Formats: sequence, C-alpha cells, structure tokens
Amino acid sequence: MGKKLRMGMLAAAAALGLCAASVLPSTAQELRVATSYKLLTLDPHYAVLNENIALLSHIYERLLYQDEALNLKPGLATSWKRLSETQWEFKLRENVRFQDGSAFGAEDVVYTIKRIQGFLKPPSGGFQAYAKSIKSVTASDPLTVVVETDGSVPTLPLQLSNIFIMHHEAAGFRTTEELNSGALANGTGPYKFDSWQSGETLKLTRNEDYWGGKPSWSEVTFRIIESPAARVAALVAQDVDLADFIPARDVEGVKKRGLKVESVSAARSNFLQFDLGREELPEVTDKDGNPIPNPFRDVRVRRALAMATDRQFLADKILLGYGTAAAQFFPNGLPGTSANLVPEPPDYEKAKALLAEAGYPNGFNLSLAGSSGRYPGDGETLQAIAQNWARAGIGVKPVAVPFSVFETNRAGGKYAVWYAGCSGEAVDICLNAVVASPDKERGTGALNYGNYRNPAFDDALAKARTIEVGPERDAAIARAAELVMADQPVIPLYHFHHISAYGGKVASYTMHPRGWTTAMQAVPSDK
Amino acid sequence: MIGMKIKRALPHPALSVSGIILTCYVLAAVAAPLLAPQNPYDPLQIFGWEASSPPGSTGSGGYRYLLGTDGLGRDIASGILYGLRISLVVSLSGTIIAAVIGLSAGVAAAYFGKWIDIIIMRLVDLQLSLPTMLVALIAIVSLGPGIDRIILALIIVQWAAFARIARGVALSETGKSYMDAASLLRLPSYRVIFRHLLPNSIAPAITLLPVEIGHAIALEATLSFLGLGVPIDKPSLGSMVASGFQYLLTGQYWISFFPGLALFGLIASINFVGEDVRRRFDPRGSSL
Amino acid sequence: MTNVILGRFLQAFLLLLVMSLIGFIGIHSAGNPVYNIVNVETASAEDIREATIALGLDQPLWVQYARFLENVGTGNFGTSYIYHLPAFGLLLSKLPATFELAFLAMLLAAPIGTGLGLLAGRHPGSVLDGLILRSSVFALSIPSFWLSMLLILVGAIFTGWFPSGGRGETSSLLGQNWSFLTLDGLRHLALPVLALAIPNIALIARLARSGTVEVERLDFTRFCRAKGLSPSRIRLRHTLPNISIPIVTIVGLQFGGMLAFAVVVESIFAWPGIGKLLIDSIQLLDRPVVMATLTFVSAVFVLLNALVDITYSILDPRVRVSA
Repeated sequence: MGKKLRMGMLAAAAALGLCAASVLPSTAQELRVATSYKLLTLDPHYAVLNENIALLSHIYERLLYQDEALNLKPGLATSWKRLSETQWEFKLRENVRFQDGSAFGAEDVVYTIKRIQGFLKPPSGGFQAYAKSIKSVTASDPLTVVVETDGSVPTLPLQLSNIFIMHHEAAGFRTTEELNSGALANGTGPYKFDSWQSGETLKLTRNEDYWGGKPSWSEVTFRIIESPAARVAALVAQDVDLADFIPARDVEGVKKRGLKVESVSAARSNFLQFDLGREELPEVTDKDGNPIPNPFRDVRVRRALAMATDRQFLADKILLGYGTAAAQFFPNGLPGTSANLVPEPPDYEKAKALLAEAGYPNGFNLSLAGSSGRYPGDGETLQAIAQNWARAGIGVKPVAVPFSVFETNRAGGKYAVWYAGCSGEAVDICLNAVVASPDKERGTGALNYGNYRNPAFDDALAKARTIEVGPERDAAIARAAELVMADQPVIPLYHFHHISAYGGKVASYTMHPRGWTTAMQAVPSDK
Repeated sequence: MIGMKIKRALPHPALSVSGIILTCYVLAAVAAPLLAPQNPYDPLQIFGWEASSPPGSTGSGGYRYLLGTDGLGRDIASGILYGLRISLVVSLSGTIIAAVIGLSAGVAAAYFGKWIDIIIMRLVDLQLSLPTMLVALIAIVSLGPGIDRIILALIIVQWAAFARIARGVALSETGKSYMDAASLLRLPSYRVIFRHLLPNSIAPAITLLPVEIGHAIALEATLSFLGLGVPIDKPSLGSMVASGFQYLLTGQYWISFFPGLALFGLIASINFVGEDVRRRFDPRGSSL
Repeated sequence: MTNVILGRFLQAFLLLLVMSLIGFIGIHSAGNPVYNIVNVETASAEDIREATIALGLDQPLWVQYARFLENVGTGNFGTSYIYHLPAFGLLLSKLPATFELAFLAMLLAAPIGTGLGLLAGRHPGSVLDGLILRSSVFALSIPSFWLSMLLILVGAIFTGWFPSGGRGETSSLLGQNWSFLTLDGLRHLALPVLALAIPNIALIARLARSGTVEVERLDFTRFCRAKGLSPSRIRLRHTLPNISIPIVTIVGLQFGGMLAFAVVVESIFAWPGIGKLLIDSIQLLDRPVVMATLTFVSAVFVLLNALVDITYSILDPRVRVSA
C-alpha cells in the first residue's frame, strides 16, 4: 500500500513539474496565431490555395505582390516593363540572400518557372495556370529576367504575383515529398522555417539577414485550429495573440473581453447561378408538379428573381453585418468594379408582375442547391432566399449538402439553380470564369457551369483584357460588367467579410481583402 | 390467451404520469397545425427580419413568439410542434417496421433452422457486436440524406435486436409438446408460424418496443444534429438544436434550449412508460 | 476453446470485411473528394479531371477496392486526401485525445455509479431507491448533444468557469501529447468528461442496483447478517465482489463504445479526437481516413466483445460460447 502511495505521489509530482514547464511565459517578441488555414504542404508550388499562399509567404517571396488595395507592389523585382507585345523585363533586387546564405538571382526565377511548367504533375498542378502563357524565361544578366509570352498577356505581372521563388538546385528539381520533410525550406522571406506538423502547427523564426530590415517578431507560431469557436476560445484565453476568420456572431463577445477586431470586405462574392444550357431542368416544375421548359432562359425571370432577393437581409441578419450586399463580383471600390452596380432593395410586387409578364402568373417550383458549412452563412442563405422568393410566388426547396457532395452533384447536372462563389487576383478573372462563354481554347468560362452565352459581353471583356493594367483597363472591365449584369446571368448575393481579432501583444493588424493571415500584417506593440 | 397476456402487460394509462405526458406529446404532434400559431414550413408566414427574437416578443404575425424565434425568423414553439411530428413519425415507423422484420426473421430462423438460422443469426451477431451509432453512421453515409433514408437507417440498426428476442422465444416454443403435436398432425408451416410462433414472440417484443422507440428518437436527433439527417427546411427536434448551437455562444440560448428540452421530455416519458411495461412483464423487477 | 477463439476471429474478420465494403461504397457514392482538394473557385475542369486521375478516383470502384484491400494487407490505409499524411498514422495521433477523455470519464463513472447502485439496492422500493432509479432514467434520456450544450451553457457561458471547447495546453508523455497533465488541459477536459460520464453513471448504477438486489436475496448474505457482520462490511466484502463481473464487463464495453460514440461530444467540444476526425472526414469524403477509423473502431469493438465472451466462459462454466 505504502509503495503504491509513493508511486502515486511521484507521478503527481512529475505531472506538476511538466505542468510548470509548459506554462512558461512566452517571450514578448513571439507571435502566436490561431489560424483556420490548414497548411497541407511545404511545397510552395503544390496548390493554389489561400492557406499555402498565406502561410508560405513567410518563407518564400514573389517577384511582386498585391497590397491591400489589390495594387501590385515590388517584391523580389524592383521594376518591370513591357519590352514588346510579348516580352517583359523584370529587374531584380540586389543583395538579396536566401536563408541558406546563397545569393538570389535571375537563375532562381528561371528555375522556379521551369519547375512549375515542366516538373510538377497533378494533383500538384495548380500553378500551371499562371505559367501557361509563358513561352520562355531567360536570364539576360544575373539581375534581369526576360519573359516571353505566347501572344499578348498584359496581366503577366499579376500572374507572377502568385508565384513563390525557390532557390535553384544544381541537382535538379526538388520533389514535393522532399520539401515536405521541411529541411529544405529555403526562401528569401522574412521568416525561416523551424518545424511543421501537418494540420497542427507551423513554427517560424526571424530571418535576421532579411533584405527588408529586421522582421518584427523573433518567433511566429501558427496553430491550426479549424473550429471557429475553438479559435475564439484560444484567443480569449490568451493562448494566442491573433486569430483569423472569427465568426460574426462571436465579434461582440470578443470585443467585450477587450480584444480588438478588424474586418475587410473580401475580394470575392457568393452568388446564385442558373443553368441556362438545358431545355428542361431537374425539379423545376409548375405548381402542380409537371415539368416546364427551362424558365431561366427568359431574362425577365432572372431579373424577377433578383428583385425578389433581399440581399441586405443576408448581409445584416445572416452575416450579422459582417457582409456587404453584392451586385457584382468584387466589392465596390476595388479596381475593375462599377460604381453603377448597387444592390436593389427587394420589390416582390414588381417581381411578381415581371414573372406574370414572362408567362408565370402563378410562379413555379424549384430546388435551390448549395453547400453547408463551406462559406459563412451558406446553408442559412438558401433558406432565407426560399422565404424571399415565396413572396414572389416561387416555391423553393432548399437543399444544403457538404461541399464535395454538392460539387459532385452539380457536375453531374442534378441542379437547376445553385449557390456558388468566386475569388481571384482581380475582378476580371471572375467575370471571365463565371459569365464568359465556355471556350477551352480561349480559356474563358471555366466556372460558367450554367452555360450562359453573351457574345457582346465576350467581346467587350476580351477587348478590355488586352488593355495594359491601369485605369483605362479598369474602366473597360467595369463597363463590360455593367453590360453583363443587366442580363442577370447570376444573382450576386454578398461579399462576406474577413474578420480577425487580436490581443494586447499586437498593436495593429492590417486586413487583406484576399483573406491572407501573416505575421507581416501584425505590428507589435511596444510593451 | 395471448390477448390476456398483452392486456396484463400494458400499463394502466390512468396510473402513470409519464403515460399522460407521452399522450400529450402525441396529441400535440397530431394537432400541431391547430396549436401552432405559425406554420414554420410556409415561407410566407415567416418574417425573416424578426430572426433571433427573444422569448415573449410579439411578431408581425400578431402573435407572441412564446419561446422566441430562430436565426431565420421561425417561431420556436411552432417549430417544436412540427418537429415533434417528424421525430415521432420517423422513429415510430422505423422501429415498427424493424420490429416486424426482426420478428419474422427471428421466427423464421427458429422454425426452419439449419442454414437459414445460421445466416440470419450470424448477421444479427455481427450487427449487435458493433455500436449502434457506428452502424447508423455507415448506413446514413451510404444511403444519403432524407427522411426516408433515416427511416431505412433506423430499420437497419434496430431489426437485429428484435430478431434475437423473437428467435429465443420461438426456439423455446418449438421444444414444447404442442409443436410435436402440430408436426404429427402435419399442420402446414404457415399455420404453425402464424398461429403459434409469432403470437408468442410478440409479447416479449413489446417490452422492447418503447426502449427501441426511445433509442430511435435519440438516434434520429443525433444524426440530424450531425447534419446527416432530415432536410434543412423541415427540421426535426434534433436539427433545431443543431441550428441553435452556433448561437449558443452569443447567449441566444433559446434557439437550442427549448427544442432540446422538448426532445428530452419526449425520450424520458417514453423510457418511463417502457419501464412500466417491463415491470409488468418481469414482476421480479430486477431487469435493467 | 481454441476453436471458439479461432471461430471468433474468423467471424470478426468477416465482419470487418463487410463493414469496409459498405463504408467504401457509401463514401464513394456520396461524392468526389477532389473538390475539397483543388480550389474550385479557380480550377478549370481540366485541373479537376487531372487531380481525380492522380488520386486514382477515375478507376472503376472494384479496382479501387481491390487496391485498398491490397494496401491494407500491408498495413497501409492510404494517404489522407486532405492532410496528405498516412491515414492510420493520423488516426493514431488522435488516439491519445480520445483515450484520455474516455478513460477519465470511466474513472469518474465507475465508482460513482457502483456506489449509487449499492445504495439503491440496499432497500429495494425505498425512497432513495426510487430517487436513484428515476434519476437514472432521466440521465439516460438526455440526448448527449443537448447535455453537452447544457454543460457549455452553464459551465462556460453563464459562469465562465470552464472553456467551451478545444484541448487546451498539452504536455508530452511517452511521446504523445496529453491534456490531463496540465492545469489548463484539465479545465478543458472537465465539461466533455462530465458529458460522457453522466449517462454512464446512470447505466452502471442501474446494473449495480439490480445486482445488489439479487445478491442480497441469496443465502450467504443472510448468513453473514446472521453472523452479525456489519451491513457496510457485507456490502464491501461480499456484495461488491459478487456484482463486479457484470460491472467490469459494462465498463469495458462502454469504454470501447466511448472510443466510437464520442463523436457527438467531441464535435461539440471541438475535442480533436477520433470521433471528430471521423465526422470531419465523412463530411470531407476523406475516404482513407474514414476507412481507417471505421476499421479501427470496429476492430476494437469486436476484440472487446470477444474478450468479454471468452472471460465469461472461463469464469462461469454455465455460459458456453458458441463459435
């Protein structure tokens, strides 16, 4: 008995000792972040997912990058110019060193583009889209790169703003598996790789020799916490100093605890998309349940449904104010958006009249499909729209399923009208993907699953996209957007807000509309 | 004779509080359209801008939101009444069909014996050796969401328990002398099964019924809570609790609290009635 | 005896095979997981097709299943589509979290439940007996998700005593991370452990009560009483050992059940254990992880059942195990 007791006490003492060791105060210069971004790989070219781009941007850098207004800023390239229709020259920054001490130069850029173009195979092929238009990359001198494109590509700098530059290896290309071991992580970025547990943590340390000056934090730890409630709890308990993707409903509580909250309207939108390609649609019937010809082909029906959609309700009640009612793909004010496109308040009577004019005085029935739990407010939005459209005489059966089930069914043609989303570096990418006519050759309409076709808009957008990046191009894109939105091929619903919250260790935090979470956005407080 | 056995087994409704409560539940579910101020399935009766109203506030419909509204403006009290219907219909139909299938399978196994017995009982053993939750999860993932699928999943989960009991009883009956007499008289097998074996197996199955219905309600609620159950526009009690969970942290407790309370009351009253039923069958009162 | 055990294992093997086939087909028919891997907001149909091919999901189902069985034969459940880690390793890394939850819940439930059962069974039909019996029915009637929410509501939101979710600070022991070694971790454990323990207390109390009633009716207890032994001594030295076999059994089975049934409690408390992994993987159609988890949980269960049966047949010759 006595022996047992002693053993127990020993165990207790050991437990206490461990306990004390684990609650050592963190150093003032350490930033601890709770992120929803589940970093899946350390290969910077593996997949174009926000999580990879945000977290790996600590280690790796790009030639140029997008600031908070989505304008391009010099990164590893100090300047760039278009030599001819198909030729671009990038001047590289001097005295930049990789984290292993070797110098950065034109060779590394060439190596990176070649790795993406020729070495990586699916499923790690996401970045190929950005390098597809590149015919050749040459180093004309150690700090100058000339890129030759297939045809005119005015947005080449924007495309390159996604690509992380790796150090060139004489031995050949690094495989994803090699990089995932972590030992080879070698970029020019402000933070160095320390350790990584897939789906759990990423630890970084300051790169003392960073070309841009000493980075603010000595150590950065990302803890991957997917549950929003758990992220909030970790922040409130001061286990972390910064947490991203705070649910709107938790903002009040977080503020009450003396934490600060920042938010920004995301450079993206969620919208309803119609199937316009088929003669008859699944589960679209008259009120007696008989199939009817595709009603969405009539623009009056699409307009009527848009009129009967209370987007302000979605923004105010479903997203609790942390969303902006939408009438186009990006929030008003960002480059390429139109000031004339503003969401209309719902008018059910007018919608009813328009439906009657289109030959549906009694309305009709449909199923509205969407994901649940993928985007803020997705499942609730379907039900709220069902309530809205009922007032215009449309019977709606909302169908919310897990995202991959939804996408499988959508690809299988099981839906007539559905909830979808689009994001990208610039608004014309969404216009081009979602509402331009599907055409593999021209690379348009990749997300136009409803098969909407509008030749006048296709021309206007294609023309606008040949213009050099600048106000003229933005205006032309905005005009094309106005043209296509008058036809209502989709009903934009909302731009949800990215919300982050932080504690006392962080003095200020700059939100990025693309939703990235990085230590560079956080300024340490003096304490 | 069998009739008397069953009569003795049934609880005296006037004596049991839980029986009264359960009856109220069933009546409320049946009369839901008459009792509920709002039809939560009719979008035209819902005022979205009144979402998340606290209990007791008065809405544009001219009636009081006795228990508040949910995140989409649906009256919680009405939602509970309608959700009750779904919970009851799903669990009752699932359990009763499972009981019929289980009884038939169990009796068939006992009567025919040999390989039929082996196959059926191996299947039963397989299933009973796994947690019901796990079987239900696999079933619902394979079948997909929807009310009919949930009922099917409940049948898959529950038939085995009935089959095992029925086989046990039927097996003890086949050993009795009247069965020998029956086979000497060359009575057709359907007569033996329907006149003797099935009726004798029904009584013990009835003791199992309330317990299994209680389980079925809880299981349906759990699956719906996990987002694998009934469709979103026609919530059962379980999915109402689930949709309220996300509002819990902001203090809007009523969205999940009241439907959960109703669910708890329902399961508890069924379990108490089940206790009564069992006590009448098993006068020693020592069973679990 | 050897035959019995062999038969048991053959049966268990068949069971696992059937389970894996059903699970495999189920996940396959639900949807294509590739949409969780590529960024559908930028990917072209081309990218999606190529990723599908790369994961081998374009193959006919039976080919995929054959490949899966072949891999399992070498102890490999494949690589998680989402985490890009070996599925079985991922499962094992979540095991400590579930294990400590289930273990602490049982540590709480077994003594309390047994104690209450002994108390109730002392005088069957007494007020205390009625109270304990009635409470146990209530406890067994609370849906576990609602019980968890009530605990969060009271323990976290109204009072702020405990955190509402997550695992808190962990400390390393035997190469694994454990929450029960830190004060913060224990605070995080409190509510989910209670949520798991309460129904088990009720279950064990009922079992202990009926056992006590049965045993105290037997002759040897009467002898003890006639001998003048004190009631508490009778209870501890004679009744308890006699009712312990069924209690140990149910504790074992329920412990196994918690490894599987903690799905609800784990997802509400955002507890990163096996149950949460299973439900997340089902939602994300991460087939390798779902298959690994299902197989693991079924195997644990079959093993526990077999152990219980075999122990019974050794302890009590009246029980014969049929193979």
